[in-house]
Amino acid sequence: MTAWLEINDLRAKAGDKTILNGLSLSIDAGEVHVIMGPNGSGKSTLSNVLCGNPHYEVTGGSVTFKGEDLLKLNVEERARLGVFLAFQSPVEIPGVSMATFMKYALNARRKAAGEKELDAVGFMKRIKVRAQALNVSDEMLKRPVNVGFSGGEKKRLETFQMAMLEPDFCILDEMDSGMDVDAVKVAGNGVKIMRSPERSFLVISHNIKFIREQIMPDKVHVLANGRVVADGGVELLDEVDKNGFAGFVKEAVA
Amino acid sequence: METLVKRERLTVAENENAVFIERELADRLEIDVKAGARVKHYRLHGGADNALTVRIGENAAYELVTLHLGNGDLSMSFDLAGEGANCRSDVVYILSGDEKSVIASDVRHNADKTVSAQLVKGAVGGRGHAAFQGGILIPYDKKEIDGAQQHRALLLSRDATVEAVPRLEIYADDVKCAHGSAIGTLNQDQLYYMRTRGIDETDARALLTTAFLNEVLDGIEDESVRAEFERLADEGLKK
Ligand SMILES: Nc1ncnc2c1ncn2[C@@H]1O[C@H](COP(=O)(O)OP(=O)(O)OP(=O)(O)O)[C@@H](O)[C@H]1O
Ligand SMILES: [Mg+2]
Repeated sequence: MTAWLEINDLRAKAGDKTILNGLSLSIDAGEVHVIMGPNGSGKSTLSNVLCGNPHYEVTGGSVTFKGEDLLKLNVEERARLGVFLAFQSPVEIPGVSMATFMKYALNARRKAAGEKELDAVGFMKRIKVRAQALNVSDEMLKRPVNVGFSGGEKKRLETFQMAMLEPDFCILDEMDSGMDVDAVKVAGNGVKIMRSPERSFLVISHNIKFIREQIMPDKVHVLANGRVVADGGVELLDEVDKNGFAGFVKEAVA
Repeated sequence: METLVKRERLTVAENENAVFIERELADRLEIDVKAGARVKHYRLHGGADNALTVRIGENAAYELVTLHLGNGDLSMSFDLAGEGANCRSDVVYILSGDEKSVIASDVRHNADKTVSAQLVKGAVGGRGHAAFQGGILIPYDKKEIDGAQQHRALLLSRDATVEAVPRLEIYADDVKCAHGSAIGTLNQDQLYYMRTRGIDETDARALLTTAFLNEVLDGIEDESVRAEFERLADEGLKK
């Protein structure tokens, strides 16, 4: 019986550069997992490969999500199946407001599911509640997507999108970086509120305090050189905290 | 707002305010904007060739937004004839299939303290071909001139082509002149980002293209004209 999300021996490259080197990981429904690892170890690459970023070529391995072969689906199909990535560096989209963007995203899902488009009132309700909870002002919703926002505001807007789209599998790539202490709490709260037996999280972060206090994961993985080199519980956090990644990186090379 | 139908000649009297919309064009139109007049002019062009000539008098302001769809060449000539004359002449062009068009513009700063600005944005799909020839002339004895021209084009298919030919003749020193041209394809990172939110690639492309062209069309002050032009642009893109 395969897990809810099962990544098996995944290999991927960008151009000539091999980045993922036989990565295996599985997550069950309702679980919160954390990935830690040195800069350049492949954490963002993994996130993007799971979403189907055409920059990366999968050269081996498999990914099964809710019983489907994820790698066979295109980017938007994966999104509609429930995969969501809060980007480490979200891209700017001049000329498209966040409100319009969210309307398109929600309606695309509804259309694919054979449902009617969301009416204006329904949409406004949905957006109002979530914007309020995550400290997103009307002004921020009217502005073009990510254009001119500070690093922390961009992260907050990624969290907001996650709340709007209610995905089943949320990958958060350094959502806490660039956020001030209060914003980190709001974001952490966003995750807490959204935790449910049908929803799983893969949280990438370098911030042990944030992981311990806000995320409270079920499992922790250490990634080095494009591979998972250690799986465990929160006790792994202590080890990383004390000794850094040096020990793990050696294992990966050996 | 006055609707012009196949007009060939038009004079806007001194200090008059006027707004024109033109959906049916003759093969040429000459406009004389007298001193102190303020004109807004919205044009739909496409199908047949058209030549527009505008003379702008002292302290007069002329603002033009043209939406060009399909075949047909467009030539525009602006003579900033009086001191302090101001001219804005933006264009959106959309081509698809086998459509071809040459869009030529000449802005002549024939008086001191004249200001011109032009933003031309195009989207070309299919095997379409567009050429933009953008001319700015500033004679040597003119002072305090400000001339800006930007051309941006999106190639929506592999076989689409756009060619930009700047013709800058700047002989004076007391000049601010910013100009540039960029021809490219849709940004892959933006497309990917939109698709990760569940938006179909086709819809993401359309949304990005519309946003690109709306930088010009959003500048149309009149709400009904703006809505009409944005709708026609959308239809043009869906062809
Ligand atoms: N599109 C790409 N083309 C070439 N190299 C890439 C590309 N994307 C990532 N890389 C390289 O792959 C390696 C892994 O990058 P990745 O962004 O996945 O690291 P990371 O673990 O997320 O690091 P960080 O902690 O700094 O965010 C790096 O050496 C990076 O330079
Ligand atoms: Mg990263």
